[in-house]
Amino acid sequence: MQLHSAQFPVLSLILLVCLAGLAAVVLLPAEKKQAVKYVSTVCSAVTLGLSVYVFVAYDRALGGMQFVEHLQWAPSLGVSYINGVDGFSVPLLLLTGIVFFTGVLTMWEHDLRVKEFFAMFILLVTGVFGMFMALDLFFLFVWYDVSLFPMYLLIVIWGSTNREYGALKLTLFLLAGSALILPGIVYLVAESGMGTFSLPALVNNADFSPFAQKLAFFLFYVGFGILAGVWPFHTWSPAGHVAAPTAVSMLHAGVLMKIGAFGILRVGMFLCPEGWAFWAPVMALLATIGIVYGALAGLRQTDLKFVIGYSSVSHMGVVGLGLAAMTVDGVNGAVFQMFAHGVMTALFFSAVGYIYDKTHERKFANLGGLSHVMPVAGGYFILAALTGIGVPCLASFWAELLVLLAAFDVYPVYGAVAVSALAINALFILRVVEKTCFGPVNPKWEHLPDVSFGLGMPRLVLAGVIVIFGIMPFLMYETIQSASMLLISGLP
Amino acid sequence: MPGASVISETWLWAGWAAAAAPFAAFVLILFLLRRRPGAAAAVSLAAVATSMVFALCLLVCCVDMETPLRSVVTWMISGDTVISAGVHLDGLSLLMLAVVCGICLLVQVYSLGYMAGDPGFARYYAFMSLFAGAMIFLVLAPGLVQLYIFWELVGLSSYLLIGFWFEKFSASRAGKKAFVMTRLGDVAFLAGLLLLLVRGGVMDIAALSNGAAGLSSGMITVSAVLIFGGVIGKSAQFPLMTWLPDAMEGPTPVSALLHSATMVAAGVFLIARMFPFFSQSDAAMTFLLAVGTVSMLMSATMAMVSRDIKQVWAYSTISQLGFMLMALAAGGYFAGVFHLFTHAGFKALLFLCAGMLIHAFHSNDMFVIGQGGARGLKIPMLCMAVGAAALSGIWPFSGFASKEAVLATLVSLENPAWLIAGLAGVFLTAYYTFRLVFIIVFPAGRGQTRAEDPARGVAYAYGAMAWPVILLAFATLVLGFLAAPIRHWLAAGAGAHEAVHGPAWLAPLSLGLVFAAIAVAWVEFGRKNASQTGFVERVRVVAELFARRWYLDDIWGWAVSRLLDRGAAEACRQADNRVIDGFVHSLAGAAVASGRVLARGHRVMIQARLMIMFAVVFGLTCIMLIWG
Repeated sequence: MQLHSAQFPVLSLILLVCLAGLAAVVLLPAEKKQAVKYVSTVCSAVTLGLSVYVFVAYDRALGGMQFVEHLQWAPSLGVSYINGVDGFSVPLLLLTGIVFFTGVLTMWEHDLRVKEFFAMFILLVTGVFGMFMALDLFFLFVWYDVSLFPMYLLIVIWGSTNREYGALKLTLFLLAGSALILPGIVYLVAESGMGTFSLPALVNNADFSPFAQKLAFFLFYVGFGILAGVWPFHTWSPAGHVAAPTAVSMLHAGVLMKIGAFGILRVGMFLCPEGWAFWAPVMALLATIGIVYGALAGLRQTDLKFVIGYSSVSHMGVVGLGLAAMTVDGVNGAVFQMFAHGVMTALFFSAVGYIYDKTHERKFANLGGLSHVMPVAGGYFILAALTGIGVPCLASFWAELLVLLAAFDVYPVYGAVAVSALAINALFILRVVEKTCFGPVNPKWEHLPDVSFGLGMPRLVLAGVIVIFGIMPFLMYETIQSASMLLISGLP
Repeated sequence: MPGASVISETWLWAGWAAAAAPFAAFVLILFLLRRRPGAAAAVSLAAVATSMVFALCLLVCCVDMETPLRSVVTWMISGDTVISAGVHLDGLSLLMLAVVCGICLLVQVYSLGYMAGDPGFARYYAFMSLFAGAMIFLVLAPGLVQLYIFWELVGLSSYLLIGFWFEKFSASRAGKKAFVMTRLGDVAFLAGLLLLLVRGGVMDIAALSNGAAGLSSGMITVSAVLIFGGVIGKSAQFPLMTWLPDAMEGPTPVSALLHSATMVAAGVFLIARMFPFFSQSDAAMTFLLAVGTVSMLMSATMAMVSRDIKQVWAYSTISQLGFMLMALAAGGYFAGVFHLFTHAGFKALLFLCAGMLIHAFHSNDMFVIGQGGARGLKIPMLCMAVGAAALSGIWPFSGFASKEAVLATLVSLENPAWLIAGLAGVFLTAYYTFRLVFIIVFPAGRGQTRAEDPARGVAYAYGAMAWPVILLAFATLVLGFLAAPIRHWLAAGAGAHEAVHGPAWLAPLSLGLVFAAIAVAWVEFGRKNASQTGFVERVRVVAELFARRWYLDDIWGWAVSRLLDRGAAEACRQADNRVIDGFVHSLAGAAVASGRVLARGHRVMIQARLMIMFAVVFGLTCIMLIWG
């Protein structure tokens, strides 16, 4: 792992901006709802700008870890504050910035305990940012947990349908995951005998036995895999998506599930390549089951958000399958899918959020004809649906293409099964589109307003990102490639 | 020669521009002109006219070149996988380009009349532009991945256009059905494509065709059959054909486009494009021949009993596509492609005529149209007669020339069964075509009712609708005589040495069959006091079988609702709720229960606790004393 120090600590600046935003929101009086929203918007816009800067400024030809910052923290424990990004985390930072910004804008009309909501929201995002850039296992784990805890409150206080159940289930599942990750980290650090939590040091110098790698990788895979929605540990995710308020669903499905997959990649695959190779067939099997199973279970849902939840299970299976292939194509596709799926579900939930705000109805049997009443809002929903189906020239297509390609190469049977899920996916998502947007207008919704330009902004941004990376996938792949080539060529 | 390269670069630029113009129109309309229908139509027409001009220039100047012109740029690189985009100009792609642009242009002009006043006018032209652009890029694709990408976009635009009147459930459902059923085929296509990419590492169609990929023959057969899956879906062949008859829920001009030069043509075009590659596998080609034959005969029988004018033309599309696939599978490259071109012309013509009739009489039922006095509408009736004659294969209309070429290819096969099936198809085609014509022209009880002025309601839109139809009728008249130059232009493709004319007995035989079929139709539907009942309708079971589309829809419906919805999908849902969550819930229950049990230990009386405390302290002290 090559480290290239930062001229300017832009990564820490992202965290600082988040924390400053958090402090400002906390210090503002609760009555000043509008001010809270403006502060949150500015904070998210600045972080988005910084993450775009990181994406653009990242030197693809150079590769490796860039923008690295290194501070001693607790030398006696071997903990130091190291941040850095490579081709895997740069897209995910960008994703977080985008979803943060659009999430805040999506909640513009939100009116209940505004201050507390945005404080929690910013805290959650801070954890996510920290997790994607941390190169010290201790910090990585802390940020990981920082990003989980606000989720419980966000769902319980501001959620809907069955929120106590959904929040509790989500929290318990994810804590169970943490309970596997922490022992895994401690075990590896102890096993290395180097007394450091620094990821670069461990990757470059530690020599783990095959047994240690297999054991630790298993812990990481299950621990992070729960968050990544790996079948059969996925049932928290649809329930959690449904219960959460719109912006939290966006962040949750859009970014949080990627934290899980990223954890497997960053901790599991970087530290335990032999464990990766050992468990890869199991990963591929579970991922393939997840792809088909998510689509099938989605066919029987009646609630819009449940449908998206299950489609997420299916799409995250694509990530798992790509990672299991252990090829450049597979890893490229998996990371691209993380990004594309993040933006896509964010758009999906954002569009559903608007529909729900206006109709207070999520059973799609009771909707119908919305494209007639709100063509623009319906259009965003349809665009998200088409992305989910894997229509070319929209971002996810390229991810699925590469992952399936890798799967055909390494696991032809799983590849064939996964391809067939594309047809089921098309069926169940188009059914939802038909029931929601098409057909005769339900007279109840006849007078609903279409989304205004201002409120439509976040959706427009997300749609734009989907189309831009759908037409120009090379913008993203060149970045990802710089990391995946190194990772794959470094395999034993 | 420096001059030549400059010229060829200009032409490549024209190829890119031809493909890009409709996309630009799509974006422009979608973002800026949604509320300006007139401007939207103007932009869309201008774009497709630009493409048409470029296509004609290219056709005139480049079609004779010896080596194909191509320009390729890298779209994406991942590891060793390079995916490129580009334009590939050779005889096939240029001719197809001209056909696509021509029909798109005519249909868009026609739509000015047909769609006038529709609230979604601008949206309609946006989708039409997307459709045209996707099809053009598909036609020009040098690589298989690009072809697949635009293949999917063609499917997407059809979804949007078939379901254009989305307020109608039937329309949105038909759009969904079209997308999902073609997607089912595309899944196989994608699998075949990935297999080729993984095993051969080449996506360039030219490289695949000349064997540069070094694939084993088994691999070629497997991937070819998988790719045929996509063709079966797109070109609506057995058993995925049922989406096409439903697709007429879209506006009629959309059907005209869908059935002629774009959507369904893509499947046949793919076979033609990769013809040398597929020719390497006899087994795959035999499979294709069988699929084409079955679809051709099956859908012809469906057309014999339908009352819906658009449905008859839809079935005949499936049937004619089957003919094309038969020709290509039998090695008749020119015959298949030529029939694709002539069919594109006369099928667009037939649909546009049908659209004028439907527009005038507000009904799809041919009996109603006939009784309403359709014979009074001179232009659509005459043009429809031209189209019908071409579809039946009567000299000198274009269908005769191409159908003869198809039959000539079938003659060259060892097994005569294919030829017999083909001739049976010719008979059935002529029968159902003229059944429709006679029903409309000679309605039962003719002379009694007379529409006041059939063209009354459509006068406003008539001009825009009439001219494209007349032009297409003219094309149908002349295209048959262009067989020789088209064959020459296509020669660079593959089978330059195939027969165009069969043995001397073939043309009289097929013409004899056609006239026999017309005679049967005349006896049953045309003459005075005709019973207006076809010979198949006399046998209830057979008529029912044909009318219900050989129960294919029922079988698919059963498969989706029983096997998928209530079978696999329900099983997964139950597994989620009962097995996985059941386990989780029981785990949580066990945690709570064990907490209760442990808590019980804390509920005892204070004396007991003190006793326990003393006992523990005493025990620990003893242990310390002993060790100490």
